[in-house]
Parts: sequence; C-alpha cells; structure tokens
Amino acid sequence: MNKSTDFSQPQRQSLPGILVMFANSLQKTVRALWPMLLLWLVKFDSLNKLVFFGSIAGVVIIIGVISYLQYLFFTFHIDEENNEFVIQKGVFNKTRITIQLHKIQQVNINQSLIQRLVGVHKLEIDTAGSDKKEASISAISHDLATILKERLINHSQQETIVDSEKVAIEESPTSFIKIGILSLVKIGFTSNYIKSFALIFVFFTTIIENLQQLNTDVINEDEVTNYLDALPNITSFMIVVGIFIVLILIVNLFRTILKYFDFTIQKSKQAIVLSYGLLSTKNTLLNPNKVQKIKITQNYFQKKLDVTTIGVHQASSDVEKVKEKDQIEVPGCSASERDIILNLLLNQLPEKGKKYLPNWRKFAVNTFFLLVVPVLISIVINYKLHFVTWNEWILYTSFFAIFAIVLIWFSFKNYKLFVSNDFIIKQNGAWDIDTIIIEPYKIQAIETQQFFWQKPADIGSVRLSTAGGTVNFSTTNYSKVKQLTNYWLYQVETSDKNWM
Amino acid sequence: MNEFSNNPIEIDQLPKFEEVQLKGLHPKYINVLLFNFLLLFILIIGGFSTLFYFKKDAFSSTTWILILIGILVFIAGLIVFTKLSFNKKGYAFREHDTIYKSGLISETTTIIPFNRVQHVALHQGFISRKLGLASIELFTAGGSSSDLEIPGLLLADAQIIKNLVSQKINPPKKEEVIEPFSNESFLTAENE
Repeated sequence: MNKSTDFSQPQRQSLPGILVMFANSLQKTVRALWPMLLLWLVKFDSLNKLVFFGSIAGVVIIIGVISYLQYLFFTFHIDEENNEFVIQKGVFNKTRITIQLHKIQQVNINQSLIQRLVGVHKLEIDTAGSDKKEASISAISHDLATILKERLINHSQQETIVDSEKVAIEESPTSFIKIGILSLVKIGFTSNYIKSFALIFVFFTTIIENLQQLNTDVINEDEVTNYLDALPNITSFMIVVGIFIVLILIVNLFRTILKYFDFTIQKSKQAIVLSYGLLSTKNTLLNPNKVQKIKITQNYFQKKLDVTTIGVHQASSDVEKVKEKDQIEVPGCSASERDIILNLLLNQLPEKGKKYLPNWRKFAVNTFFLLVVPVLISIVINYKLHFVTWNEWILYTSFFAIFAIVLIWFSFKNYKLFVSNDFIIKQNGAWDIDTIIIEPYKIQAIETQQFFWQKPADIGSVRLSTAGGTVNFSTTNYSKVKQLTNYWLYQVETSDKNWM
Repeated sequence: MNEFSNNPIEIDQLPKFEEVQLKGLHPKYINVLLFNFLLLFILIIGGFSTLFYFKKDAFSSTTWILILIGILVFIAGLIVFTKLSFNKKGYAFREHDTIYKSGLISETTTIIPFNRVQHVALHQGFISRKLGLASIELFTAGGSSSDLEIPGLLLADAQIIKNLVSQKINPPKKEEVIEPFSNESFLTAENE
C-alpha cells in the first residue's frame, strides 16, 4: 500500500486546495461587502486611489494567509481502531470531527468551477445522526477521493445485511440513463415559473434598492413611465407581462441547464450514482434502501412533451433539512426512463390499487376560503377606500373568480389516494400534478384527525409520517381512513423489512 | 424451512385501533394545566393593573370595566375548555403500538408502532414533580411532527411504560446475533 492510499495517518488536503480555500474566502468576503464595493465603484473618481488599492491588497493578503493556515491545520484520517473517520481543523479554535464509519450514509464527490480549474474535488460526508456535524474535505484529488469514498462506504456497509447484491454485481458501474439537453430544455420551459419569478423579483428589487441608495439615475424612472404611458393601457400591460414571461423562460432555461447538464444515472454495486452539472459537477450517491418518499411531478405541457421530474427523499433526522437538501431531483425523464428509475428504487413498478377520493366538502371549503373570503374582503376594502370603481371591481373580481374556481376545481379533481398492498400513492395539484409514492412499511407514525363538526358526515383526515417527510390526505371518508390505518399498522407491525 | 402460510388478509378482521378502550390521564394532571393558566392570569392582570395604576386615563372607566369582564370571561372560557379537553385526552398501549388521542375541536389520534420508536424519554416538570406526575415522549425517525408525548402519568406508571417500550425497541439480543451468521453461511454456500 503506498503512501497516498494509507488513510490511517493524518494527512493534508492536496496542495492546490489552498487556492480553493482562498477563492472561497474571497467569494464570501466579496459577497458580504458587495454593496460597499458597488458604492466604491460608483464613486471611484472621488476616492483616494492609494487607500483603495491598499485596502484591497491588504484584504487579499489577509485572506491568503488565513487560507494557508487553514490548509496547514486541516487534516483527515481513518482511525482503524475505533472505526472512525477523523477530521481536525481550525487555526485558533481547534475542531475535531469524528464520524463513526457505520453511521456514514452518503459520500458525495462534487466539483465547483474553481475546483475544476484547479483540478481538485470536494468530498462530502452525510451521516444519519441528528447532530449536524457533517464533514467535508474541500480539496482532494479525484483518485484519492474515489479510494476514500470506497473505503468509507464499504466500512459503513459492513454492518448492514445487504451484501448479497454486492456479490452479484460486478465492479464497474454501468450507465443507465443519460438525460439529454433536449429534455432539459423541455423542463426548463415548462417548470419552476414561480421560483424563477421570485428570483427575478428579488434580483431586481435589490438592484433598484441599491441604486436608490446611491442616488444615481441609471434608469430614468420618469422616462420609462412616460414611455409606457404613451402607449394604450392594454399594450403597456402586455409589454410588461411579455418581458417578464421571456425573462422567466430564459432564467429557467439557464438555471436548469447549468444545474443539470449532462445528468447521468449509473448503477454501481448496491447504490445508484447521480452526476450532473455544467460549471460545478455534482456526484451524489443514492441508496435505494434509504429512499423514503418519491415525488413525481408533471404538468399539462410536460405531459404533452413526455417529460417528468422525479424527486427522491431520503431518510433524514432533521425535518427542516428534508425539504431542500435531502431531496434529489431527476429532471426531464421520459415515461420509460421514469419507469426504469422507479424500478431501480422500488424493485417494481408501483401499482395504483384501490382509489380513495375526497368528500365534496373539500371543494366547498376550498371555495369558501380561497374565493368567497377574498372577494368579501375586497368588497369591504373597496367600500371603505374606493380603490377602483364598482364596474372595474366587477370586471377584476370575475377574472379572479374564474381563475380561482378553475384552480380549485382541478386541485379537487386531482386529489386522490391509491392504496395497494405494497404502495400508497397520493396525487394532488392543480397545474403541476404531484404523485407521491411511499411504501407502507416505511411509515413511522400515523395520525388520524377529525373536527367535531365532521363527525355526523363521517369525514376526516389522515397523516402518514415517514423519515423522508409526511403525506396528508384530508376530508375523506373517516371510516375508510380508520380501516386503512388498521391495515397499515398491521403492515408496519408485521413487517421485518428494514425501513432504512 | 419454516412453516409457511400465506392466507389472504381480511381487512375487517384486523384489530381496530378505534375500538381500543383508552385510559384517561391522571386527574391530578389538570392542576398542572390550571397552574399554567394561573401564571397567564397573573401576568395579564398584573399588566393591566400597572397600566391602571400609572395611566388611569388611558381608557374611560366603562372601558376599564369592560376589559376586566373580558379578561374574566376569557380566563373562565379557557378553564372550561381545558377541563373539557382534558376529558378528551386518553392513551393506550397495545402489544405493538401506542395510541394517544386528544383534542376537543379537532380530535387527533396518533399511533406509533413500537418497532419504529427510536428512543423513549421521561420528562418531569416542576409542578408535575410536586404532584408525582411525569410524561413519556416517544421519538421516531419521522421528525418532530411524528414524535408523541403522553403527559399526566403517575411517575411509577411512566417508569413502567418507559421500561416496557425500551424492551420492545431493543428486544433481548440473542436472536439478532444469530441471524447475520446464518445469513453469511447461506451466502458462502451459494458462492461455492
């Protein structure tokens, strides 16, 4: 065994790692100070050049020294005796992170743009413990990272009893699915409108705010308003909406392609490896045993274009974390690819089984809260404050009413629960239709709930908690809910399958 | 080979959680709840009396009386509500799971199978300690939303329950040790 693969001795990261740390610290500093930097740039002429460049150079040197020290004091090794992975770091505040090998859940190898330029990788370790000391090594060569990953994973899996597959499947990972640029384009054009809208909105508001603080007139507001005023009302409205739609589409497209470029799913040994990304490559390991919840999302356009997004939730001890970090997304797969992935994760295709529908009261309640109440509020407000004339109010309200009633109707129509022996499938959503799949033996707790006024009508709700998030099904036949609960309890309590 | 049977499951024949006789919380527990309201009551009354003392003319005298009546009605309502909802709370331990039911307006029944419990905790607050009460909390991997706390148990009962659940979670190790061994020998046999 040569020196580079011996992990029993504490070792440093690879030398170019200093550059990575330097760049990271620099980025953080710039991010923290960017309003100030912007201010300086605008007032560049009136500044003392010596002070300006002097302070910049000073900051850069300080960051450089800190990065070097960080590099110097960062070591990692595997403690074979105690079966622990140990990271020591910190210049002044010493930190020692130890992770028991069998608690390691995931080892990811990622690469950001800087790391790609320098030629190093980042290794991240995910644990199952509730304590949040996740470890990461930010600069390590690819070969070393791969070996270390193997060591960590192999150690961690010695305890579990899933060795049978390991023997059966040979070493080299076989490529399964590759998601092409065309699918990404399709997904980019058809999803995440609201997210991108929020991004653009935040982006513009921060820029405008900062510009206002600087008291500059880069954008002459009057000019823009005048220009829009000169056009007929409808046209100016259309222009603004059109610009927004185009912007959203472009942002969406770029985000999707940047994030998911060259998305590849490979199967190696017992785990599934996902790798993707244009500027920064991500490499994620997915263990089918740890999958708790699968969410398939598709809207009308995507159905026509034959693309879906699959979200996979893995077991996590932290509920807040479940939403963002532990969901792994597979964007833009076709129906056949979706089936392959589901087969990979569940060993069979989920069958829908018996169908359960919500009570009509769900529609009534939603209509009341989402349509009647807002309309009543708008009446009161308009009565007091006279925002618009009543004719206009009728026009706007009828637009809103049609829009709302269509959405409420579709979300009611799509709200279904399917229960079969091996699967619980919930479907919901008005435009983006989510299909959530869980396996009954992965349920952690069941909660049934009923309001006292729902008793005569025999209506109630049920909530299933898994380690990867909860599934709710509300306002449905309560007797059937109780029956199902008994059935699921029976399944959980008699199953000897490991839920993780 | 073990004796193997695979009879169809009659869903109606399964044990019904809704028919289990639930045990109410210990009557003393209501004192704990009422004490909490007493604190709230003192706080509200204290706040308004200082306001009354220093700035009497903040409200007219009729408003002051209305405020007083409002507070009293609010507190009385809370106490009645607490009593009623106290009667609604109940728990049961079955062979394989725990049931806890609560709620006056919204009736919630939470069920946690023992083979999904991660660990058990026994809590005792200040007043509970004085009254000899304790609460049991069951933690699962489903996050805080699926954890279950059963309050108002006698300390002795709570300890028995805690031991019971701990035993259910970690059954005597013997069987577990044997299994991987037998599994391995099976594997190697297959390889050869």
